[in-house]
Amino acid sequence: MKYRVTHTTAYAYSIPASLSQNEVFLTPRNTPNQNVLSSELRIVPTPQYMHRRVDYFGNTGHLFMVQHPHENLRITAISQVDTSPLPLPEKQKTLPWEQVVERLHTSALEQDVMACQYCFASPMIQLQDDVFQYAARSFVPGVPILEAALDIMQRIYADFEYDKDASTVDTSVSEVLGHRKGVCQDFAHLGISCLRSHGLAARYVSGYLETIPPQGQPKLVGADASHAWFAVYIPDHGWVDCDPTNNMVPNDTYVTVAWGRDYSDVAPAKGVVTGGGVHDLTVQVDVARLL
Amino acid sequence: MPDFCMTRSKMHSKSAASHEQAALFSSFSVSENSYCESHISSSEARGHWQVLINSLSCKDSDTLSRYHDRAMRMRQEDGAVINPFDELDKQPNSWSLDILPVLLTSKEWEDIELGIVQRARLLENLLADVYGVQETAKKRLLPAEMVFANPHFLHSCHGIQPLGGRFLTFYGVDMYRDVNGTFKVFRDYTDLPTGLGYALENRIVLSRLFADFYPKKNIQRLAPFFKTFHQALIERLSLSKNDPGICLLTSGPGNPLYFEQVLLSRYLGYPLVEGQDLTVRDAQLFLKKLGGLERVEALFRHISDRESDSFALHNSADTGVAGLIQVCREQNIEVINPLGSGFAQSPGLAAFLPDLCRHLLGQELKLANHPSYWCGDKYGLEYALAHPDHVSDLAPHQFFEEGKAVSVSGDQLSRHPRHFFASPEISPSTAPVWKGDSSASQYILYRFYACATADGFAVLPGGLALTAESLESLVGNNPAEQSSKDIWVFSDKVVEPVSLMQGMQTIPEFKRHSDLPSRVADNLLWLGRYLERAEGMIRLLRTVYRRVSGEDRFEDIPELPFLVVLLKQKGILPESPEEDTNQLLSFDLFDYLYQAVRGESGADTIINILKRVLQTAWNVRNRFSLDSLKMVNMLDRLVRRESNDPLEDLDMIMLTLSGFSGLAMESMTRGLGWRFMDLGRRIERAVNQVSLIHSSLTHICIDSETSLPTMLEVSDSLMTYRDRYRTSFQLGPVLDLLLADETNPKSVGFQLKQIASHVKYLPQHNERRFATPEERLALEMLTGIRLLDLSLASCSSDMSEEDELSVFLQSLEEKLGLFSQHVTSHYLSRIPTTPHYGTIHGSLQV
Repeated sequence: MKYRVTHTTAYAYSIPASLSQNEVFLTPRNTPNQNVLSSELRIVPTPQYMHRRVDYFGNTGHLFMVQHPHENLRITAISQVDTSPLPLPEKQKTLPWEQVVERLHTSALEQDVMACQYCFASPMIQLQDDVFQYAARSFVPGVPILEAALDIMQRIYADFEYDKDASTVDTSVSEVLGHRKGVCQDFAHLGISCLRSHGLAARYVSGYLETIPPQGQPKLVGADASHAWFAVYIPDHGWVDCDPTNNMVPNDTYVTVAWGRDYSDVAPAKGVVTGGGVHDLTVQVDVARLL
Repeated sequence: MPDFCMTRSKMHSKSAASHEQAALFSSFSVSENSYCESHISSSEARGHWQVLINSLSCKDSDTLSRYHDRAMRMRQEDGAVINPFDELDKQPNSWSLDILPVLLTSKEWEDIELGIVQRARLLENLLADVYGVQETAKKRLLPAEMVFANPHFLHSCHGIQPLGGRFLTFYGVDMYRDVNGTFKVFRDYTDLPTGLGYALENRIVLSRLFADFYPKKNIQRLAPFFKTFHQALIERLSLSKNDPGICLLTSGPGNPLYFEQVLLSRYLGYPLVEGQDLTVRDAQLFLKKLGGLERVEALFRHISDRESDSFALHNSADTGVAGLIQVCREQNIEVINPLGSGFAQSPGLAAFLPDLCRHLLGQELKLANHPSYWCGDKYGLEYALAHPDHVSDLAPHQFFEEGKAVSVSGDQLSRHPRHFFASPEISPSTAPVWKGDSSASQYILYRFYACATADGFAVLPGGLALTAESLESLVGNNPAEQSSKDIWVFSDKVVEPVSLMQGMQTIPEFKRHSDLPSRVADNLLWLGRYLERAEGMIRLLRTVYRRVSGEDRFEDIPELPFLVVLLKQKGILPESPEEDTNQLLSFDLFDYLYQAVRGESGADTIINILKRVLQTAWNVRNRFSLDSLKMVNMLDRLVRRESNDPLEDLDMIMLTLSGFSGLAMESMTRGLGWRFMDLGRRIERAVNQVSLIHSSLTHICIDSETSLPTMLEVSDSLMTYRDRYRTSFQLGPVLDLLLADETNPKSVGFQLKQIASHVKYLPQHNERRFATPEERLALEMLTGIRLLDLSLASCSSDMSEEDELSVFLQSLEEKLGLFSQHVTSHYLSRIPTTPHYGTIHGSLQV
């Protein structure tokens, strides 16, 4: 499936900012089922300094600075990607989850060791006892890893209410668990926390959903903004995506931008400004299917 | 008397000892539980201690007490002991100095030195690996927890190649001697080793104290290390020798180790800067100075790497510089130590060092580790379960219960053994200490330092020994609970005499283009203004109090109506119609006056102005001499104290303020700092004086016989007038003295003349004179007042608001305001001096 993604982030400052530094992760990455055809970044006003790099997790990030007084900042990323469906492993044939934990800790295989990056607490994920307890039901002994992960995905979808007003970018997993509501970011964090508290490797994926679904299918939640879900590491296979917000395994209508330990590693845009007063933020996302 | 290495309970009484000089070192007992640094047995001192003990043996305990007092005094003079602001921030002293050094033989030192060099190389190689290919993790030489769960591993620093090519450039290590006398490493410092400044200060003091002893012995000198530190940095970066662009980054005067940062800054000649002094442009680091931005090429940081860049590290630390990591990533700066280096001091790492040493260096680890066991091993877990008190987190804050980090429990340990390590208590040696009037024996820990050189590392032959009565204080991180000792390392070879003081630099800011950071200039300018504002206000209030505190009824005080005009102009009395004033006076005058002094709410009450004086002085306290800081301390006490005699309070405050300004101005070099402070004072005085005269013009002739002397008194010019004119009070001469007379230091003319002369010396890019608006304004104001004709002014002529003089004063007030704005925008706020940083969060992913 070919898509053109247009993602616009606009800041308006109440007083002119004399200097702003920003880091964005808006360039989709190549994956086994996604080919990036083109990607460009337009920034107004034109930054005096711009630096592109591949970060620790393999994402393409841009860091730029606007070094003269400005009242507005507008970042537009336009990308074209080609996605294809990815076959899932047969869930009954995946390893029992306890064996995965053991593999992560002892295996000499480099990919197993490096998956440990995603095993521990991270800035927005704490390994809490309450989350462990919540997740425990899905981790009965001997359950295959993928079955456990899909069960977690399904349970979050069923147990939690989607509520855009319940969350901010800083909402913690504990709050989400307590309030039983949140947005995709919260559900992804919760899913990750469930898996990691059992010693498994799970990562945060930032991306998009097709805006207008094919005829006859409902429009999914998160389609008009940037979306997020989690992925679980399955030894000898790789990573499998799970979207607890829509209770589905992402297919070729999903576009992957970046992944990391949690939101803080891959926030689409973040920065600091000197001056600037209070700021106003607007975000627009359009994912259009190309014929 | 020194009871060396005696058991910890028994002490000799002083009276019993003082008459027994020869027995001074003869009666003590050596504990069997720890190694004694100075003695083999109760009667026999170790060989290398003989000289010191013999030298001390000819002295009685009174002499040692005098030594002790002298040492305290010397440190105090250097600013290390007394914190002049201790009443402001209640900071205890750091690492007080013991006059008895601790001694090491050249043989002992040789092993330590080789061991430290190897360990520094090992840790540097480990850092290069972890921030590069991560082979140690991939081959499981380190458990995944150690790297990926470790808050000291900074993801955003991965892949950065340090500009100078070195991953570790300044290393510190705490060692102790076990019961057998073997040195063991207790912990490493790879982020920011502290105490080097105190080691330097201790040597400066002790070499002066033992001036009869120290130079004759082959004790290794410290000065060459500092030279090496600097030279290696210059060469590593190919920096210019004359103007290398190196700064020392501090978190500010609130830091408990600020003294050592000031000392190192002066000793190495690296200007002391705070995060606010620096800014990032085009991925380069700059120092914001009066003359503009100046490139910084190397940063000796004294803030933790995790607090060095709020932007890249997503925290709210305001100590560092937003964007610093990007500057490193682009290889535009050398940071000592490179950001992320704190990883190598992670607790629990020690257990893996022997293996890592074999793998990374192909050698056996030379220095023994303090035992440390990873609970991911069978043996480690068994040990930990048997000794739950010795268990610590490998990576703190992994596990939470009800929002709180859990402490280690047997349950946690069994469930997640790989996250924990165990380490027994240390059993350090003991050494004799002198406690001011008697001796004692305390636990001792050695802190050594190494710096990167072209071919490896150089180790400081000496260091900072820490002593404490309890093990808990010794291994804790509170310098206030520990004492410090100088470490003397004997050499087999003849030691070249090198003066430590040769290294002392003049105050760094004045070395480079006589320029100083905008933040400092800003604080000094406002300090000058607040000082003058406080003095002006006090003069007025004192004049009023003197009149109304007597037994006269208010209606019998002839000056009162004119004073009321002045009080209203200052906002001390509310504006009210004439008829209300009498009522106001009889009931509320003292309340209003009290509010003007002690009120917390008004901006310009005496108390609030003084608080700003204290705050601005505090911000730039390393600019002032110790004596002037003591005055600040006194001022702080006066602010808090309240007697029942407001007039006396005001007198005392005035006296202290004058004392402080006098000492501060006196002790500052006539550089830019002094100019900005004086400029602030002149601006403030001119503004006050002009508005005082302007607002009183319409009232002054109502009863000129009383109001003119009152005006002179409030302007502090009464004596001068009497001295000069010896006549009755007349408007013309009074105005001349207060406005135009440039020989009267209180006149507006004098202030304007000073302002004009300061402006000439401020840094500017244009060679042409009068090119800047502030220069032109200063000249315009000065010329205006010089051309002012006051010969016709008299109370018999018609004085009114529309008068020529009134118009002149009005315009002068406006020009002064404009002038002040120009100075601020040209020198101080063109580059914002205070970062009003806002963090911009990204959008919520929905």
